[in-house]
Amino acid sequence: MAAEVLPLAQVKLPSGPSPVSAEQRYWRSFKNQKSHTSTASWPISHISFPAAAGTNLSHSLVAASKLNDLFAVTSGPRVDIFSIRKREPLKTIGRFDSEAHCGEIRADGRVLVAGEDSGRMQVFDVGGGTRAVILKTWHVHKQPVWVTKWSPTELTTLMSASDDKTVRLWDLPSNNPSRMFTGHSDYVRCGAFMPGGNSNLLVSGSYDETVRVWDARAPGGSVMTFKHADPVEDVLPLSSGTTLLAAAGSAISVLDLVAAKPLRLITNHQKTVTSLSLASNGQRVVSGSLDGHVKVFETSDWNVVAGSKYPSPILSLAVIAAGAAQEDRHLAVGMQSGVLSLRTRLSGAAAEKARDRAAVEAARDVGTEALEKLDAQKAKRKRAATTNTSMELLGESADVIIPTDAPGGGGGGGRSKRAKLKPWQRNFRQGRYAAALDEVVDMAGPQYQPVTALTLLVALRHRSALREALEGRDEISLLPLLKWVSKHISDPRYLGICVDVSFHLLDLYSEHVGGSADLAVLFQALLGKVSKEVEKAQMAIQTNGMVESLMFGGM
Amino acid sequence: MDVHGDTASLKRKREPKDDPTLAQKKHRRRTKQQEDTNANDDQNSSSAALQHTDGDLDLSEASLQLRQTLGSWKVSKPMGGRMLDIDPIFSPDERHLIITYNTSIQVYSTDDSLLVRRIALPLTRTDDATEFVSTHIVSSVLSKCDTDYIWVACSDGRIWHINWTSGAGADTPFTVEAKKVLDVAVDAAEIGGKPEDVLLVLKKLTKSSAQIVAYNTKALATGNGKLLHTYDESPQLLRCVAGGRLVVAAAKETLHIGLLKGRKATSLDDLTYRFHCFDVPDIVSCLDIRPTLRTTKKGVLELQSVDLVVGCARGAIYVYHDLLSKLPGEGSGSLKAGMIQPKKYHWHRRAVHSVKWSEDGNYLISGGYETVLVLWQVDTGKLDFLPHLSATIENVVVSPRGSSYAIHLDDNSTMILSTAEMKPTMYVSGIQSLVLGDRPSKDSLVRRVWRPVDEIAAPLVATVNPQTPSQMYLSVGNGQQVSQGGSSSTPLLQVFDISSFHGVTKHAIARTNPTDANITSEGMPITEPTATKLAFSRDGKWLASVDEWQPPERDADVFLTGSKTPAEACRERREIYLKFWEVGADDQPFQLASRINDAHHTDRTESIFDLASDPTSSRFATIGNDGVVRFWTPRLRKRDGLAATGPAGQPLRSWSCSRAVSLPIYEQQDDSVEMAKNAQRSGAIAFSEDGSILFAAFGPPSGALVVAIDTETGSFRDVVAGMFKGEIRAIKSLGSSLIMLSEDLIVYDIVSDELLYSYSLKETSEAAKRLTQVAVNYESRSVALVAPVPNPTQGKMKRGARSELVVFNIQKDEPQLVKTFSQLITSVCAAPSSSGFIVVDAAAQIWSVTEGAEQAPLLQPLADLGVDDSDAAEREPTSEDLLLQEGEASDDEMEDADQDVEMEDDDDTHAAVVAPQRLAEIFNAAPAFAMPPIDDIFYQVAALFSTKPVNA
Repeated sequence: MAAEVLPLAQVKLPSGPSPVSAEQRYWRSFKNQKSHTSTASWPISHISFPAAAGTNLSHSLVAASKLNDLFAVTSGPRVDIFSIRKREPLKTIGRFDSEAHCGEIRADGRVLVAGEDSGRMQVFDVGGGTRAVILKTWHVHKQPVWVTKWSPTELTTLMSASDDKTVRLWDLPSNNPSRMFTGHSDYVRCGAFMPGGNSNLLVSGSYDETVRVWDARAPGGSVMTFKHADPVEDVLPLSSGTTLLAAAGSAISVLDLVAAKPLRLITNHQKTVTSLSLASNGQRVVSGSLDGHVKVFETSDWNVVAGSKYPSPILSLAVIAAGAAQEDRHLAVGMQSGVLSLRTRLSGAAAEKARDRAAVEAARDVGTEALEKLDAQKAKRKRAATTNTSMELLGESADVIIPTDAPGGGGGGGRSKRAKLKPWQRNFRQGRYAAALDEVVDMAGPQYQPVTALTLLVALRHRSALREALEGRDEISLLPLLKWVSKHISDPRYLGICVDVSFHLLDLYSEHVGGSADLAVLFQALLGKVSKEVEKAQMAIQTNGMVESLMFGGM
Repeated sequence: MDVHGDTASLKRKREPKDDPTLAQKKHRRRTKQQEDTNANDDQNSSSAALQHTDGDLDLSEASLQLRQTLGSWKVSKPMGGRMLDIDPIFSPDERHLIITYNTSIQVYSTDDSLLVRRIALPLTRTDDATEFVSTHIVSSVLSKCDTDYIWVACSDGRIWHINWTSGAGADTPFTVEAKKVLDVAVDAAEIGGKPEDVLLVLKKLTKSSAQIVAYNTKALATGNGKLLHTYDESPQLLRCVAGGRLVVAAAKETLHIGLLKGRKATSLDDLTYRFHCFDVPDIVSCLDIRPTLRTTKKGVLELQSVDLVVGCARGAIYVYHDLLSKLPGEGSGSLKAGMIQPKKYHWHRRAVHSVKWSEDGNYLISGGYETVLVLWQVDTGKLDFLPHLSATIENVVVSPRGSSYAIHLDDNSTMILSTAEMKPTMYVSGIQSLVLGDRPSKDSLVRRVWRPVDEIAAPLVATVNPQTPSQMYLSVGNGQQVSQGGSSSTPLLQVFDISSFHGVTKHAIARTNPTDANITSEGMPITEPTATKLAFSRDGKWLASVDEWQPPERDADVFLTGSKTPAEACRERREIYLKFWEVGADDQPFQLASRINDAHHTDRTESIFDLASDPTSSRFATIGNDGVVRFWTPRLRKRDGLAATGPAGQPLRSWSCSRAVSLPIYEQQDDSVEMAKNAQRSGAIAFSEDGSILFAAFGPPSGALVVAIDTETGSFRDVVAGMFKGEIRAIKSLGSSLIMLSEDLIVYDIVSDELLYSYSLKETSEAAKRLTQVAVNYESRSVALVAPVPNPTQGKMKRGARSELVVFNIQKDEPQLVKTFSQLITSVCAAPSSSGFIVVDAAAQIWSVTEGAEQAPLLQPLADLGVDDSDAAEREPTSEDLLLQEGEASDDEMEDADQDVEMEDDDDTHAAVVAPQRLAEIFNAAPAFAMPPIDDIFYQVAALFSTKPVNA
């Protein structure tokens, strides 16, 4: 039957080499950077927050971690405890004799454990009071303790790893380790509990370039050893409990514990990778390196999906999740320079509020008129909302409620939602091609988009109306067109149509160039642009020739 | 017997054993030493091509012989056809619509759009099939005396009197002597006291004169009519109304109005008319008359007034109100110029194709090329539109009760719209491929800036979905007549069900502009892309299409620099897209999965010669002018390394080139390489049956190579030279044989490296080569070739061109079937899951070619199936009938006690008496757990009840 009038479909351009992907947009939405310099600019060596990583945690533990508002930042001989909500330090634990390592808050957010260079390990009470109370001290390790971590499943179990080449398992009440694992032949600098069902499994990475997996149930040495080419700086078990990431030198290796083999070597960093963290509920892995880059990997094929650069070598990072859904909230990056950078992603109501504020700000800059318009819009929205709520109340007695705003359109009132044609689309449909073209090439226009202009020009070519749209112009209406052409003629996707338009323009208006200085300037600019392109093409051909001869030589 | 095996379009090459050069051709590899022999072969084969003229004379004999010897292949009756530019006829009760097709009359039910009866008319006589006479139906009119009959007139003077309720009368036409019949009008005139059908026949005398002759049934039998009027302008249209009291004949820019003289006629010879003649401001393209009758005091019917509306070729509509009063009375001499002033209504940009009065005379309904149905309020000139119909409106007919309009569109469809809400209540559509019209379009009555296209230059791109073999996919344009718009673009894909014979849907597979003006401001037609290739993947889930568009040459004047020709400038601006579509469920539109912009390109976009689908997996291959074969495979669409999903969570796939293989160019002497590069190259590809090898033929006419490419590794398995003469048309693979079509048809065994047999085409004109096609059916191991029959007088494939179908079995070098079609064949497809072929011709008819006893998958009209209910409906429904209908209407499953009783009452009149043991056979066939599916059982039971009772 009679076809519906649809707006002109936008030209689909081939996707360029690096379009901004959804993932990049997501990671770019970590904004509002807040920097925090540690006392005396001590390098930030460790950032941690109690993540509810495992699936079979005890229920209370999960609930506790969801309520948790704390994360710990270790720098020099101090551990700072920050609030996730306020992004501000709440208290500082400075009761260390030497450099502190690996300040870790337990999942219930009540106690913190940290090791230090002297070999001492201390457990602090973080709840209440400004001064942290030492609850427990062990001095069993005789060398610096680099790793102290709480078991994800049991509140009283923790592990430690030290430069004395041992990994130990502790029980909070006892004074001696419940288990000591030996086997590393160099400093053990990283370690973790395996998540999931097998919390008896521990993993550690050492400067002897091995990653070892230990089983608390099995007597003797490590149950599995992965040899690397460089000292291992960090290990990160994925939440599946079968895959393990190890940062060794500038590479990150993906190790499969079930098949007992390395799956992949990720070599995207230029310098030593110092820190790994899970993000997006275990769907992404974030790595930080001494080259100052943070890279985000997806966990199925280990492609880099986003990244950013920091001014100083990165020593530690964490993606801090918060809320019931454990959404990514902050990207915390600790650097050599002693700066802790916190970038925050707002979601839900907070994001909306921020947007509103930005809109008001922008309107204020424009002027009172825009501000009034904004207010009117807000009032309208509010009215609609109140009518909707009042209708909802009414609904208790009425059988059928017809909402004032049909959600999603189409449904209510029989009014089908049809996209209204824009002025240029209407002009185009009604054959006023020149007017339509004027609207889309106006680069100062509020809705200007180069691809819209391209869409129209291509449609004009399809309809044999290009010349008609270009004919009969005066100097003023010609200038924006010429500007548009000379701007876009260097883009290969726009090249074809720009060439056609230029041909037409030259054919139509070349005789008038002498009479108008503006026109002459613009045509001159076009010439310059084209000759630059020709030059580039020549260089490309030359390069091609050189490469070809190299290839022939190589064969 | 040396001509044995020749057909009208093919010349059998001599047996290899007789011909030493061909024997050499048998074993050939592309080696340097053999190039000399290649050159020899070329000479020899060209001399062979010259020889064929002497064989032409024996052709008919030879093919007759063949027809007698071959029995296994048969060609079905044609189905479909093109609706002619003749007003469709409503039956008086509006239950049926009679549509005139180019070779048949088809009766449709208006309730359910189903075909009730197809009355084939033997238009082309078999005896003079060689000589082309343009015979076509010029008019079909419902008989006024007996509304079960229609009069159908053919341009060669044959007139049929057909009972459309039974189909009787199609074999016994009357014949009137005429050079050419232009139009026929029928009305019931009172002759000798009782009304009788009088046919007014407009006969052409010379190019610019005609006469109107009246016939009644008696006169038709004898062939002696009564000459009423002769006039000198080139004539066109003839209408008569009000019991023959008024005759209107249109000739270019004049109208001839004839008024019946004398009150009573006792015989045909008493019919005399007084003719008036006056000028219309423009060329008449259509007209409609609205008479008002009154009864005089003596009880005689009399014409009171006549309103005449005339649609003109430049878009104006003129209305003559109360024409009778303006005509001079009897004996008062001729009309003076300017005495008759019409009212002018102008909206249409081009010719008004049809204009009709509404039932009450307050409205005019008109339509034309703008695809807009325009409703005019006559008094105020106010307009109302039904815009954006799918094609040019050809005919508009107001139903007898005035409650609906029948609209015939140029895309071979007719719909009935209810006048109240303008919603279609019935829709019939046929094959919408391009056809050659019998009559020039009304748009070309005046000179246009564009020249109408009068030939079919490219084959119809069509394919059959391997999963639903009854659905044929044809690339079609916005209209059907090639001459209509001046362009032959085919941006749409029609899905046509050949078993139920109706169009399922139409998808746009390239850019279309259905809602925008379809002409430029200069009046030029806007060209849309042309689909050039179509292929389904093996599982029918994917469809690949290639479409091309290039700006018309008139736009390219500005771009000419140096020695560039407009054609070159246009080629540089070509847009060639390779598209992959995901085929959804029945009526769902296709989802575009991937669009490849420049699938084959050098410094510009290059044309894609061929597209082939892997018979074993979802894979396509293309070959282009850049000499590269590309393989296309689907893969999961990934976003940031993660599978992208659609709205329903299903993984999305996109298609990309998985392998590109550069083909070798035939190496000739070094100095001629440059020349070969510039020569027009051509190519074709085919997958082997197991999908392991892709045969690619590519090269300039002087030396094309066939390369066997391993589809797994991309390496060359084999290279064969010298198989093609001239441009490569097609290559097909069947078992170990390669079928190669250029100016020769060569069947070559790739394994034994042996030439099995070869034929050379007799027709070698460009258009003919393009229309020569070959299709392969794997099931019957047969090859079908269609080729235009050589016509020395006509180079172009215009109207009158004929085609020939030759079917070979791959094992036998003699043709299994040779059949000449009176229309050009535009497409041939292998019918999937059957052993036959489907052929589409330039008259939009489908033929099924089947082997052996296999049933053609084509539709049978309702009447042939014996389920036509029209007879029952037209009978006065007796009480018995009513009871019967009640009984039939009651559902089997809902039979409860009292209904049972009722049914027993009229058991003896019940149509289907089913023995209980028959039902038991169905239901007790197996224990309950092993029963066939419930719908199978339902169909079996339904079949039992719906079979005709055996007459005792």
